[in-house]
Amino acid sequence: MRTKKWLQTGLAVVMASALLIVGCSNGNNAGGKNSESGGENSEVSTEPVTFTYFGFGANKDVMASDTTIGKKLQEQTGVDWKMENVVGDASTKSGVMIAGGDYPDVISPVGELAKFLDAGAYIPLNDLIEKYGPNIKRVYGDYMNKITNEDGNIYILPFTANVNGYLSPPDPSSTFWMQRRVLKEFGYPQVKTLDQYFDLIEKYQAKYPKIDGKDTIGFVTFAGTAGEFYTITNQPMHLAGYPNEGSVMVDMESHEAKLYQGTDTEKRWLAKLNEMNGKGLVDPETFTANKDQYLAKLTSGRVLGYVNYSWQVNDATTNLRTAGNDDLRYVALPILYDEGIKDAYVDPPSFVNNRGLGITVSAKDPVRIIKYFDNLLTDENQKLVQWGEEGVTYSKNAEGRMVMSEEQLKNRNDNDFKRKYGFSYFDYEWPRYGDNSVYEDGNAHVPFNQPEVAAINYTEGDKALLKAYNLKTFSDFYAEPVERPWYPAWSIEKEPGSPEQLFSQRAGDLQQKYYPRMVLAAPGGFEAVWNEYLAEYNKLDVKGYEEFMTNKVKARVEGKW
Amino acid sequence: MGKTAVQLAKSNNTGTSRFKTFFKELSKQKMLMLMSLPFLLWVIIFKYLPLWGWTIAFQKFKPAKDLFDQKWVGLDNFKFLFQEQQFYRVLRNTLVMSSINLVLGFVTAIVLALLLNELRNVLFKRTVQTISYLPYFISWVVAANIVQMALAPEGIINVLMLKMQLIDHPVLWLGEGKYFWGILGATEVWKNVGWNTIIYLAAITSIDPSQYEAAEIDGASRLQRMFYITLPGIKPVIVLILIMNLGHILESGFEAQYLLGNGMNLDYSENLDIFVLKYGMQMNNFGLATAAGMFKTLVSFIFLIAANNIAKRMGESRLY
Repeated sequence: MRTKKWLQTGLAVVMASALLIVGCSNGNNAGGKNSESGGENSEVSTEPVTFTYFGFGANKDVMASDTTIGKKLQEQTGVDWKMENVVGDASTKSGVMIAGGDYPDVISPVGELAKFLDAGAYIPLNDLIEKYGPNIKRVYGDYMNKITNEDGNIYILPFTANVNGYLSPPDPSSTFWMQRRVLKEFGYPQVKTLDQYFDLIEKYQAKYPKIDGKDTIGFVTFAGTAGEFYTITNQPMHLAGYPNEGSVMVDMESHEAKLYQGTDTEKRWLAKLNEMNGKGLVDPETFTANKDQYLAKLTSGRVLGYVNYSWQVNDATTNLRTAGNDDLRYVALPILYDEGIKDAYVDPPSFVNNRGLGITVSAKDPVRIIKYFDNLLTDENQKLVQWGEEGVTYSKNAEGRMVMSEEQLKNRNDNDFKRKYGFSYFDYEWPRYGDNSVYEDGNAHVPFNQPEVAAINYTEGDKALLKAYNLKTFSDFYAEPVERPWYPAWSIEKEPGSPEQLFSQRAGDLQQKYYPRMVLAAPGGFEAVWNEYLAEYNKLDVKGYEEFMTNKVKARVEGKW
Repeated sequence: MGKTAVQLAKSNNTGTSRFKTFFKELSKQKMLMLMSLPFLLWVIIFKYLPLWGWTIAFQKFKPAKDLFDQKWVGLDNFKFLFQEQQFYRVLRNTLVMSSINLVLGFVTAIVLALLLNELRNVLFKRTVQTISYLPYFISWVVAANIVQMALAPEGIINVLMLKMQLIDHPVLWLGEGKYFWGILGATEVWKNVGWNTIIYLAAITSIDPSQYEAAEIDGASRLQRMFYITLPGIKPVIVLILIMNLGHILESGFEAQYLLGNGMNLDYSENLDIFVLKYGMQMNNFGLATAAGMFKTLVSFIFLIAANNIAKRMGESRLY
């Protein structure tokens, strides 16, 4: 907007002929205003209209009405969506959007929220919710203080508001995975510590150095691209018995947030990797492979162990599952540094308040949009976006429980079907019930959290493995999560360009530079590299960052989000 | 007193007469002036007015706010830039990679053009040309993927070298910083050589064929003809393109380094553009990004003018 103004002033001064251009841009503005007022007039109507949606997550572009769910929602409200998603670098895209000042009607900013807020791209939703959002109030009521910004306004509706209780998922998403045939080979032993985990891999690799004529890969993780480097840097925290808080570990009692970077907690993990590398068990491509290469490696079945959050490698695991050989699939285990530590891999009940959907200042008709959101949050429509239609994508059994046949379940797991039906587009990046929600009739909000569905979802191999360990679900490997009122610390927003953000960037750069060197150092050379890394790291303002995080965590504990 | 008045009148007189001749000339070329006016306007609007944006370099810039609401910080952004340790590393990388690209790109393109020019079989010539410029049309994302696949431990390069017993065990090409510049240079050549050749081939066609005939009669060999006729014939084009490319000395490309770079070769792969992306754009620090941009422009400007002057001294064709 600003450049446009400059442009106009400049033009007016320079040449009369430039009036043409000024006239054009004025004309555009006028056009925008016209349609705006038109929209307000038709407040109550369900007259067909198309709005624009932009997501910073990963998805394919689509017209909402081309999907079954989108079509149904359009029939209810008359609103259709042109849904677009970011291609390429998210921060560049958001920068361009902000610089141009020209936004789609709604944006799900994912990691770019702070920038959009900074630029004043969102309109406050408070009044709109008050007037038009009974369902929104029902869903977000308990979270009001967490979704309200410091200036008293609500800008986005997050995706994790749990309704009617808390149902934990049967399949964990963290982070140490082991190939099932390794466990099978050694009679399903208990694997608890990092040493045990790598010992098992080592033994298996020694026994079977080649799989299908190719070298067995002992251990690999995904640290080849900058954007997913957290895969390798997050592990010390998990190994020490903390949940995923980002770069800090928060003390349960004192609520002090301590960085584990540059401490013995981090060193131990890297030293172990270095030791394993010395034995030839760490795939050197860990630090160079791109995502395609990495996923191909996992699907090949040659990898004995890897570290990842399941959402990073969904494509590979789905493919392995479809291939049908359960021995080649992986199981997640709660690996820790020492036996005595209690694991915290399963996320405690949490609320992520910096991911959500907001209405922008360019929105032509905020009222209709908020009404659409509200309509989306009815029980029926939440069932629609997660389960689909009764009799088509799910059924009900005699006790009124929602279940799926194997055919229906296959569809729910199929990426193409999910896109065609609209699950891929509507089950996450919209105002919604959180994953752990339960409907009033006791059914789970997310199909895979429904025990009946999870039970059908298990393959023969799954059942055999669970039986061998005498467990009911894969979550039973893990400890029950403990309530942490501030959780997760990673969602604490750092102001763009602030010292904290600068620290994160610098510390991350150091990790990216030194991790490979430490892991791949010749045996005996580890200490030297570690000391070099430590010296560089200690030049940064560690204290300041910890202070910032501790203050924010304490504020959250006191209810100030 | 009188004298000065006369002098004044005199100088005034010449002034007006100069003015007069200027306007006379102007009115003679009225049509030409009118025709170039739109382009002059275009340049002012799109090339000069945006220079206002450079003020961002002196602000703690917040998007979507008025000029008067911005916080002015003086030279802070420049100070940050020049005090940053990493800056000198990325500057070195930028300069080295850019020079490699410049030299390699030049040499290979000219050599290929010379060789293609010597081909008599038109079908073969066309095929070679097409194949060599096809990679130019592949996006960097795809190209980088191909390079990564080829350089993987089980990729074709390692397999070939192992088979030929040049190495004993697979080399992690992208994991060694010192290989990065070479890899990048080779990739750029592979991707751009065919495209860069086109302009030289075009220049070669403008050389008078009778020169070749004369040389042939005088008994010049093929190599001699290349050296004494073709190369001097395209020399003006070469110099011109060199000058223009020197203006981009701080632009070593972005995509290739961004896509092929990783933690292990960071010390060699990270260039100015990536640094600006990380510490400028991604942190919403547009002031820093603009400051870096200004620095780049300044350096490019110096190089461009220097190259142009050298060309002028050597009596070569030049940009202006």
